[in-house]
Amino acid sequence: MEKGTTGRGLECLVVRYAEVGLKGGNRRYFEGRLQRNLKDALASVGPARMGRTWGRLLVFPEGDPAPAMARLREVFGVASVSPAVETRKDLLEIEPVALRLVGEALSRRPGEDRVPFRVEAHRADKSFPMRSVEVNRRLGATLLAAFPRLKVDLERPSLTLGVEVREACAYVYADRVEGPGGLPVGVSGRVLSLISGGIDSPVAAWLAMKRGCRVLFLTFHSHPFIGEATKEKVKDLVRRLSRFQGPSLLFVAPFAAIQTEIRKRSPEAYRTVLYRRAMHRIGCRIARRHRCLALLTGDSIGQVASQTLENLRCAEEAADLPVLRPLLAFDKRETIALAERIGTFPISIRPAQDCCTLFQPDNPVIRGEVEACRSVEAEIDLDRLVEESLASCEVFRLAEGKPDRHHSPATILPSPPRPDPENPASRAAAPSDRPGSLEVGA
Amino acid sequence: MDAPTIAYLDNAATTRCDPRAAAEVSRFLLEEYGNPSSVHPLGVAAARALREARETLARCLEAEPGGVVFTSGGTEADDLAVLGFARTLRRHGRHLVVGATEHPAVLEAAKALGEEGFETSVVPADRAGRIDPAAVASACRPDTVVVAVMMANNELGTLAPVSEIARAVRTRAPRAAFHVDAVQAFGKAPVSLRATGADSIALSSHKIHGPKGVGALVLAPGRRPAPLLHGGGQEGNLRSGTENLPGIAGFARAAALAVESLAAEVPRWRRLRERLERGLAAALPDRLVNGDPERSVPTILSVTFPGVPGEALLHHLEARGVLVSTGAACHSRRGGSHVLLACGMAEEAVRSTIRFSFGRFTSEADVDRAVAAVPALVAELRALSR
Repeated sequence: MEKGTTGRGLECLVVRYAEVGLKGGNRRYFEGRLQRNLKDALASVGPARMGRTWGRLLVFPEGDPAPAMARLREVFGVASVSPAVETRKDLLEIEPVALRLVGEALSRRPGEDRVPFRVEAHRADKSFPMRSVEVNRRLGATLLAAFPRLKVDLERPSLTLGVEVREACAYVYADRVEGPGGLPVGVSGRVLSLISGGIDSPVAAWLAMKRGCRVLFLTFHSHPFIGEATKEKVKDLVRRLSRFQGPSLLFVAPFAAIQTEIRKRSPEAYRTVLYRRAMHRIGCRIARRHRCLALLTGDSIGQVASQTLENLRCAEEAADLPVLRPLLAFDKRETIALAERIGTFPISIRPAQDCCTLFQPDNPVIRGEVEACRSVEAEIDLDRLVEESLASCEVFRLAEGKPDRHHSPATILPSPPRPDPENPASRAAAPSDRPGSLEVGA
Repeated sequence: MDAPTIAYLDNAATTRCDPRAAAEVSRFLLEEYGNPSSVHPLGVAAARALREARETLARCLEAEPGGVVFTSGGTEADDLAVLGFARTLRRHGRHLVVGATEHPAVLEAAKALGEEGFETSVVPADRAGRIDPAAVASACRPDTVVVAVMMANNELGTLAPVSEIARAVRTRAPRAAFHVDAVQAFGKAPVSLRATGADSIALSSHKIHGPKGVGALVLAPGRRPAPLLHGGGQEGNLRSGTENLPGIAGFARAAALAVESLAAEVPRWRRLRERLERGLAAALPDRLVNGDPERSVPTILSVTFPGVPGEALLHHLEARGVLVSTGAACHSRRGGSHVLLACGMAEEAVRSTIRFSFGRFTSEADVDRAVAAVPALVAELRALSR
């Protein structure tokens, strides 16, 4: 269990969650999901144990905590992380550490005359002789005496000294770094992202993950009009995005036959709109087969001809599931800023043709009409073409730093819905204590 | 895709390693793995092999063994010449002259020298990729310190009249170093340091059925660029770093094979190119052959198929096992091969251009596969793109 030694520096990371705590009866489910996601995320940086305490998770990395800390800051649902120092669970040892940490924190904000502050102690170990409230009071008094700039503010502290008293030792922390917020991936259900090689669709997928969606991916590949490099680019994008949700499925649907048919039989101006309708049809079929509740695209209103409201409506009319568009109101530069943060931007700008530009009309329709789309589609054996594309769809399971796994479609069956098993580690850290609050000087 | 099932017509991009060169690589990886700087027998044997490789290269290029500097490839050889000569000769001036169709290794090195106060004049090429010696001469100034011209244009195969250019440079800019990038020419046309009168020649191994990651800068006697890498002083202090002996030995073997077989290969390549040209002409009278048929390496045929997106044609050919390259990818709304654009070709034509290139292992059957596949695809793609 936890080591009882002192002076080892950072030993524990205190992870606070964003909205997870607000979700009433679902809280245990959300916490369990977050804990599993954290464990999966940490697998790539080294082994770590985990404990649950009131309203937060404790992570004990076995090696250097810095990479673990960096990794935790990418996991959705994490509001903030604090690196904590381990001490013996004795107030005489906790006090000097608290003084040092608060002193360091204050030296990093030299400009502030008054620093609103509170102490937050939790006592998981009931044998500890002092109650949390008493710990708060004692430490608060000591710190206020030592640092005149501190001002008690229980409501809006900008500096919080935290103390976790555990079975074997105590953890003290004063720093905190922000996480990405959002909800743990998986709590909101599945969506199917229509991903091209561009800048927008990966950002849309990341935003859906941020709201707790597990994202499956579908791309359209028009070989032999378009080469393997385009497919590799999309795979690299999905591999990068798997960093935020774990191993991810990518479906690659052949699209050349559909595009050629549309090219031959439709008015030139309608080509792109009709491509997108066909993509939505194929997307809905795959989404239903794999329990996705919606399609997801990177559309932004009016960004290009195919993304006018009229043309979005034309595309959506071909879908029998909701089409989520998290970038609707984003300007390109906002999307690019996010793409850079996520790390998809350098991949997206690699030159490779995507199928949407194939046989691209010089003057695409701006205000497409659903009826016009339908009447062209009546001339095309679209159902057969969709079936053919689905039948020869490829599937890849992609994860960062791991070899691809290629599946034939038949082996990718929907996994049965399953309840989240409770993590045994979380039971050990059942809520046991309420955070006390500092009352001195009030 | 296994070697026999594809018709590989992209030898100007890279070539399959000749098994005899690959055997050398393997021998120096697995058996004679010594460091040429070591004094024990394994090291001494390595030093001897290195010396022999240097002598082989020197013989192939009609140069002195002491002038052969092994590098990591053509790019490093070009960089060493352009940056290195500019820096040693800067007291004589800060002006460079480069051909418009040069490899990025030369163009970007010249651009980087802008930071050090150098100015670059670019000599245009004509529609066939020819560089006019008179144009080079008029670009030269008394303060010109480096002139760089590529011997064979990598998209069109057009050969530059390098010895004429060398004479022009000597007259107009006597202090300048004249660098020739012979990466595409070597092994397809006679390349001789002595005959060209160049100060340095850049070579690459993987274009002549040798291993990747190795090349050479071959220097005229007395010519010394400033080194790019500093360290243990290998390669006469011009290229520090433990020598890549497996690569160097494989390169030397490949170079010797290329020079030995040149006399027999050139007529064979000419016949292949004629066969391809005639086959395409018969089915597609509106195709346009680019370049200078009088003066070019026999291994490259550049053809424009008007109205056909070149990249789509490339991928359709790849689906039939025929591998070629394009003048430009059609994803780029503008641009494409800087070489073809520099020759004054319209962007539209550049996007419809395919380069077929031959090597030692190219057979008539390979060419016939291309001839059989291209016309129908051109018709199909033209209909779809109209």
